[in-house]
Amino acid sequence: MMKKDVRKRIKYSALLALILVIALAGCTPGSSSKGETTADGRELKQFSAFFAVPGKIAPDDNRVLKAIEEKTGVRVTMDWLTGQTAKERIGVLIAGGEYPDFIDGSDGTQQLVAAGALVPLEDYIDKYPNIKNYLGEDWKKMKNTTDGHIYFIPQFGNIQEKSMKVTHDGEAFWIQKAVLEWDNYPTIKTLDQYFDLIERYKAAHPTVDGQPTIGFEIISYDWRYFALENPPLFMAGYPNEGAAIVDKETLTAKNYNTIPEAKAYFKKINEAYHQGLVDNETFTANYDQYISKISTGRVLGMVDQGWQFLDAEASLVKQKLYDKTYVPLSITLSEDVKGRYQNNPILNVNGGLAITKSCEDIEGALQYINDLLDPEIEVLRTWGQEGVDYQVDDKGVFSRNEEQRANSKDPDWVLANTGSPLVYFPHHEGMTADGKNALDPKEQPEEYLATLNDIDKKVLKAYGYTKFTDFLEPAEENEPWFPIYTYNFEPNKPETIARQKMDDVKRKWLPKVIMTSPAEFDKAWEEYQATLKESADIKAYEDALTEEVRRRMELWG
Amino acid sequence: MAKKELQPSLKTSHIPAGTSWIGYNLSRMKSQRQLMWMSFPFIAFIAIFAYGPLWGWLMAFQNYRPGIGFMEQDWVGVDHFRTLFTDPTFLRVIRNTLAMSLISLFLGFVGSIGLALLLNELRMILFKRVVQTVSYLPHFLSWIIVTGIVANVLSTETGIVNVLLTKLGLIDAPINFFAEPKYFWGIVGLSSMWKEIGWGTIIYLAAMASINPSLYEAASIDGAGRFRKMFNVTLPSIKPTIIILLIINVGNVLNAGFEIQYLLGNGLVQDVSETIDIFVLKYGINLGNYSLATAAGIFKSVVSLVLIFIANGIAKSLGEERLI
Amino acid sequence: MKRFRRRRSLGDSIFSIMNGIFMLLVMVVTLYPFLNTIAVSFNNGLDTIRGGIYLWPREWTLQNYVSVFQNPNLTQAAFVSVARTVVGTVVQLFCTAMLAYVLSRKEYMFNKLVTTLFVVTMYFSGGLIPGYMLIKQVGLLNSFWVYIIPGLIGVFNMIVIRTYIQGLSEGLIESAKMDGAGDFRIFMRIVLPLSKPVLATVALFIAVGQWNSWFDSMLYTAGNRNLTTLQYELMKLLSSATSQGGTVNVDSYKNVTNMVTPVSIRAAITVVTAMPIVLLYPFLQKYFVTGLTIGGVKE
Repeated sequence: MMKKDVRKRIKYSALLALILVIALAGCTPGSSSKGETTADGRELKQFSAFFAVPGKIAPDDNRVLKAIEEKTGVRVTMDWLTGQTAKERIGVLIAGGEYPDFIDGSDGTQQLVAAGALVPLEDYIDKYPNIKNYLGEDWKKMKNTTDGHIYFIPQFGNIQEKSMKVTHDGEAFWIQKAVLEWDNYPTIKTLDQYFDLIERYKAAHPTVDGQPTIGFEIISYDWRYFALENPPLFMAGYPNEGAAIVDKETLTAKNYNTIPEAKAYFKKINEAYHQGLVDNETFTANYDQYISKISTGRVLGMVDQGWQFLDAEASLVKQKLYDKTYVPLSITLSEDVKGRYQNNPILNVNGGLAITKSCEDIEGALQYINDLLDPEIEVLRTWGQEGVDYQVDDKGVFSRNEEQRANSKDPDWVLANTGSPLVYFPHHEGMTADGKNALDPKEQPEEYLATLNDIDKKVLKAYGYTKFTDFLEPAEENEPWFPIYTYNFEPNKPETIARQKMDDVKRKWLPKVIMTSPAEFDKAWEEYQATLKESADIKAYEDALTEEVRRRMELWG
Repeated sequence: MAKKELQPSLKTSHIPAGTSWIGYNLSRMKSQRQLMWMSFPFIAFIAIFAYGPLWGWLMAFQNYRPGIGFMEQDWVGVDHFRTLFTDPTFLRVIRNTLAMSLISLFLGFVGSIGLALLLNELRMILFKRVVQTVSYLPHFLSWIIVTGIVANVLSTETGIVNVLLTKLGLIDAPINFFAEPKYFWGIVGLSSMWKEIGWGTIIYLAAMASINPSLYEAASIDGAGRFRKMFNVTLPSIKPTIIILLIINVGNVLNAGFEIQYLLGNGLVQDVSETIDIFVLKYGINLGNYSLATAAGIFKSVVSLVLIFIANGIAKSLGEERLI
Repeated sequence: MKRFRRRRSLGDSIFSIMNGIFMLLVMVVTLYPFLNTIAVSFNNGLDTIRGGIYLWPREWTLQNYVSVFQNPNLTQAAFVSVARTVVGTVVQLFCTAMLAYVLSRKEYMFNKLVTTLFVVTMYFSGGLIPGYMLIKQVGLLNSFWVYIIPGLIGVFNMIVIRTYIQGLSEGLIESAKMDGAGDFRIFMRIVLPLSKPVLATVALFIAVGQWNSWFDSMLYTAGNRNLTTLQYELMKLLSSATSQGGTVNVDSYKNVTNMVTPVSIRAAITVVTAMPIVLLYPFLQKYFVTGLTIGGVKE
């Protein structure tokens, strides 16, 4: 009886499988949107794009995207990196030899260049005025160092007119607005002043909402640990070059782990740790725990990049704990050293949007990029549609009404209406082409003011500032080589391995030197320095970067 | 069991007198032609899909860069192997990998077999099924969720473990479990056990399902209690499964994974937390150094194969079930 | 077994009680993470990050699920996922079991050689790039069959089934042979029905593997959006939620109250993907938890 049963079941399963396969075969091929046309009857061109960065899944059609499609006559199917590193993904693409029409290889860009996968663009550009105008002086920086071709167009950091930045999302020492208010809005410039303030506030407020107050946090989790290791370069008054500090006179790159400012900084942190000002769990907490602590409102300050704790601030705002949100401070070791926490947007010379040799319509692809840079479409990409998403007054200034503002805060509405996934296509930042508006609505002065709450306004007023970036020194002109971290670290090179080794040593030793008893600090520091020098070929690292600084200086200086 | 020994084997001594070796084998092949048909497509399959891509191992002897013809790559001989074995970090990650694998292997086996045995003793079928279903649920949670819970459970502020230990008066101050290297391997082992214990029982329960109930009856008539039946009937019946799984897993001791260690690790414990796979990720994949990653892969494969053949040999000499 | 039920000794009862208590403990410990995930999936994302969500949501919302289900490709992707799970499980189970049967036959001439050939493949791989090139060369790129063919034989599963078959009574097979049945017939008529517990087990392994895999979808079917799977679509969603500087231009991010955070979206995705498997489980479970009712299976 069993036998029959099983046979029956197998038969049914086989049948079911067959049906499914047939159904699948029926629906898999075709169904692509070939032959679609725009409203005015032009044929809709289809392109594919891959960006080797994790990104938002684009809604295939939302209102603004449709409008852009109508204007350009182009539809782009976009894919983003999922679950692999950029280098891995690009390696596989190259092995297959077939590419999407547009590509941003991110870390894998050099592999694409080496594989001859990209189309040299320099001979085409003259025909596309918007692209030519967009590249402007940066043109020469984009030349490939070995063959002189230009393979990609950078998408970020191209400022039109002037930067309109209103919020700081880079690195800073952050302090709760409540702490500043409590101390009657002091001016905090040095590390000593900073920790002194935290100490006094914590003594006066041992608990927040019934839970113990935490003085200071340093996120040390996984790749997010950079704020643990890089403050020495800010202490010494250098901008965030990421990989090293560069001496302007001698054009020499130096790693910042061995400079005296590094020791002074970590000695101070060590002291603060033993005063109980630094969270005990700061070196073992994971990212979620870190965010969780901040969003309870009991963390007085931290050193971090602003974008890392956006979720926590959003949570604080949602709880209406406005005074527990943060202000960026420019902290150095002494008042004589000027902090350089802000910098002008930077051009990534190592990557951008490229067109691959698999693309059958290179001119059409470039025409699309050109169209996207059209002033009118650029406004469409950021502000949306006039009359629907914003108004224009008789002077040409854009504004939103309450309803439009509310819409722009609703992620679902944004996704269905204005959310543009085209950010990895070249675009300007700063102001609109006519210089009358900010390109990004949230940088438009009126719109920015509308987002401020009472506490924000009070704090800004107390210091006489108009926006929170005013707490930091304005950005200086970028040095020609800046930032040196865009140096292309190639596999199997000593500097590449040295960088990884230094990373390993720092991860282990920085928490250690901070946690060691203050009396032992000097000894621990020396041990750390010795380990660093022994494990990593620091000289190869510094030499490679120095060479790159001088190369860039020569090319663009 | 004894019956199996009577089956003809490949040994030539079975050739009947007067037939050639070739003739004998041809006739055997003919008599087994159904078995041949049933297996040849799969042999072709494995040759293409598993052995085909093995040319990739040549990468270990190059400085492979994608986009350049395979044979035009720089050939560097055994440089990458030398890099691996002269790096003190690599030797340390081998130690960590072995330690964590063995701990997880032990806890996993003991835990799953023990749970399966106890489940088998449950008389209420519904309860048995419910427990089994519930205990296998954590398998479907990703490591990031599980490690997140582990981190919260062990946290010094609100973690239930520290709260309990403090309340029971066993410790004065909360222990920061993730700051001390000595706890790390244990945390990893217990977390893995927690996540996979229910999933691991499935295979043993399947083996137990085929035990002839008359064996239990016979044992009961002999006056055996629950424990004796467990040890004299159930366990021996699933022994072949246990041994086969053990041999397979011995081959995996260098595959301790990277996710859990990566997610739970931090700078303070990195000397004990990093596995071979993390090393490969950091110095191979992330730096675009596929050749180094391949070299490490070859090393792991060779060790695995040696280990399973040894384990298989031991099983054979002990007269136990064997893999090959 | 029923006959002996009444004769329970005191020790027996104590054991049963202790065992029952222990099992309850196991349930509590293993149920918690799942319940916690469900609670998080129904809790407001921005509230969740404050921590302290255990078994019940603090601020109810369906927002996390809305985000998961707003992907227009989801229906198609779910269909492909179901298809690959059903087809893959049936085809792979059948092939794996057939090979397992062959290798359980001691008289099979190439037994040791073929077993070795398969077993060693568990411990090596040529790597990502050669694997990709192979799939491309055999024409499986952007084809539904790329989900089925490369996994035709699961070696581990094959060994599990083989071990089980070896434990079956040789007498049944021998007597069938005497009656003139060929190996294929024996496999279909005798071995398969007797192997239900292990087949159910392996079917579960294969089905879970098929259902959960997304990497092949990402790697091999990028050129055909109709072949995307549920898991891959959800992976993409998760990866986009986790990435910073996302492209959806929500103004004044800080003032948004129905934000979906990585933690909350991950919880919702986990619940969505685990549910079908959890619901499928009891149907397969009965084969290996309750056991076979016929005797004479094991020697």
